[in-house]
Amino acid sequence: MPYHTFKCSECIPERKKHAVVKGEDEDLTSCLPLGYLKTIPGTISERGCAFCGAKHVIGTPMKDVIHLCHGPVGCTYDTWQTKRYISDNDNFQFKYTFASDMKEKHIVFGAENLLKQNIIEAFKAFPEIKRMTIYQTCASALIGDDIDAVAKEVMDTMPDVDIFVCNSPGFAGPSQSGGHHLINIAWINQKVGTFEPKITSDYVINYVGEYNIQGDQEVMVDYFKRMGIQVLSTFTGNGSYDELRGMHLAQLNVLECARSAEYICNELRKRYGTPRLDIDGFGFKPLSESLLKVGLFFGLEKEAQAIIDEETARWKPELDWYARRLKGVKVCLWPGGSKLWHWAHVIHEEMGVDVVSLYTKFGHQGDMEKGIARCEAGALAIDDPNELEGIEAMKKLKPDVIFTGVRPGEVAKKLRVQYINAHAYHNGPYKGFEGWVRFARDIYNAVYSPIHQLSGLDISKNEIDTDKGFMTRQMISDVKIDKEAAIVSGERQYTGDYDCVSKLRDKKYPKIEKQSLSIE
Amino acid sequence: MDDIIQEQVEQLVDYIMKWCLWQFNSRAWDREDQNEGILMKTMQILCDEPVERETPSDKCYWVEAVILARDFKDNYPWLSKMEKNEIKILMKGLKEQIDYLTITGSLNKELTNPVY
Repeated sequence: MPYHTFKCSECIPERKKHAVVKGEDEDLTSCLPLGYLKTIPGTISERGCAFCGAKHVIGTPMKDVIHLCHGPVGCTYDTWQTKRYISDNDNFQFKYTFASDMKEKHIVFGAENLLKQNIIEAFKAFPEIKRMTIYQTCASALIGDDIDAVAKEVMDTMPDVDIFVCNSPGFAGPSQSGGHHLINIAWINQKVGTFEPKITSDYVINYVGEYNIQGDQEVMVDYFKRMGIQVLSTFTGNGSYDELRGMHLAQLNVLECARSAEYICNELRKRYGTPRLDIDGFGFKPLSESLLKVGLFFGLEKEAQAIIDEETARWKPELDWYARRLKGVKVCLWPGGSKLWHWAHVIHEEMGVDVVSLYTKFGHQGDMEKGIARCEAGALAIDDPNELEGIEAMKKLKPDVIFTGVRPGEVAKKLRVQYINAHAYHNGPYKGFEGWVRFARDIYNAVYSPIHQLSGLDISKNEIDTDKGFMTRQMISDVKIDKEAAIVSGERQYTGDYDCVSKLRDKKYPKIEKQSLSIE
Repeated sequence: MDDIIQEQVEQLVDYIMKWCLWQFNSRAWDREDQNEGILMKTMQILCDEPVERETPSDKCYWVEAVILARDFKDNYPWLSKMEKNEIKILMKGLKEQIDYLTITGSLNKELTNPVY
């Protein structure tokens, strides 16, 4: 096994099996780190907790819901707005956050009465919202507050409201991934099958594991609607509480982030016989094949192909402009979970960047299998890294840019390594054909930022030319490219709108009549 | 399996591992079903044989198989020159290798977990 030992972690021998280098002749039977295990004492993990995984990742992107934490106010505050999961209802779930604000006296005397008061107060403050999710925290779990009983009591006295309870305290798993699992199972156990949304198409899907980061979901739903498909529910970005209660009525579950939401797909398959189709919404080829797969399932391949042709013709010349300038850029692909495999191959194939390392904070071995299978030889793969390991890897690998979260991103900046926010994006959406160009533009802007170049100069030591203006990005990037070839092929920079999502909300779509399967 | 077929199997394995996700469902029994369902139907499509797609799960396998068969044909021109019996031998070798990489030889300790 090609394990990699970090010098900074030599004093923590258990870390040895959590990092591997993919060699030329390695495959998954010889090259896979351990994963989804308890963080080893002595290593400072970058992971979140199971409460955060349940609430922040999966619960709160639901849009028409009061999301209430039963715990100290910090649990709510620190999981609020850290991801840009926008919605088409004026971002209700994003603008407000709710907490029962437990204090020491509640720990001593119990906080069920406090919770009940808070639930009623919140519903009264927002009378147009009739749905609520409540999240247990470490504090309320340890004192044994019966949140389910309180919720039932309120629902008995307020029959027009519906409440979902998620018992996933911070300690309920080695990372946020434990919370993903718990809320998936809690939702199907408590809510699926309790409401029947209106079916408006012959072709009905649930779009699962999609969180509408900067509009990802709305871009993808636009494609599905153009194909004549009804997206009955989205689990959970821009998703409606009641539509998600009707997940059992869909004909197909289209799964994007298997790491966070395969559980509910698997349960829907087992309990209701709804099949699961995994897709990739990132990158021209994976997205095209994903749309074709969904189209084939319903006999809508022509509709899917029409979208692919139109979008490719519109956006491919812009992707190519950036790809020509990104070739050979060294990337550390260090996201939380699924993007390590969503992106590992396609940023190399379609943008020309080289993935020199990939890591996952909370992924399981299955995620690493996908990531290692997709990345090129030589990449350093790390499970649950600590900050010192990240620094050591950056110094050794000398990447041009890191795709990661805000906290490790700030560490990278201090080493003069640029970073792109892989969780919440910089200028997303990144899904969809246009989104993929926006991602390429963000990488380009990061790598060739004139400010970044200037930040490497020390005015107390370096000679600074005073007779020259600042370099622009293109002056820096175009040194290494054949400009004539780019002009001949019609390549150009991104020409889309600053906001490419809001306009989708008023779009009208044709109804597509059912047809027989036509493709072999 | 001769060296040429072995080399061809490796090319197809590399393609699947890079571009597909269906072989990586989280449990061994699920991977067995996926590998069998999709690769069997891919073989049937490549050999112009009828493909079962009545049940929802069969339909999903068929969808994946249609895309995979197209990609194989587009990327590996030697495939269209093969006889049907050769394709069957090739696909049998491919199935064995994918099963080995994702199930029998896998280092993933979650594969045998009895619950999801």
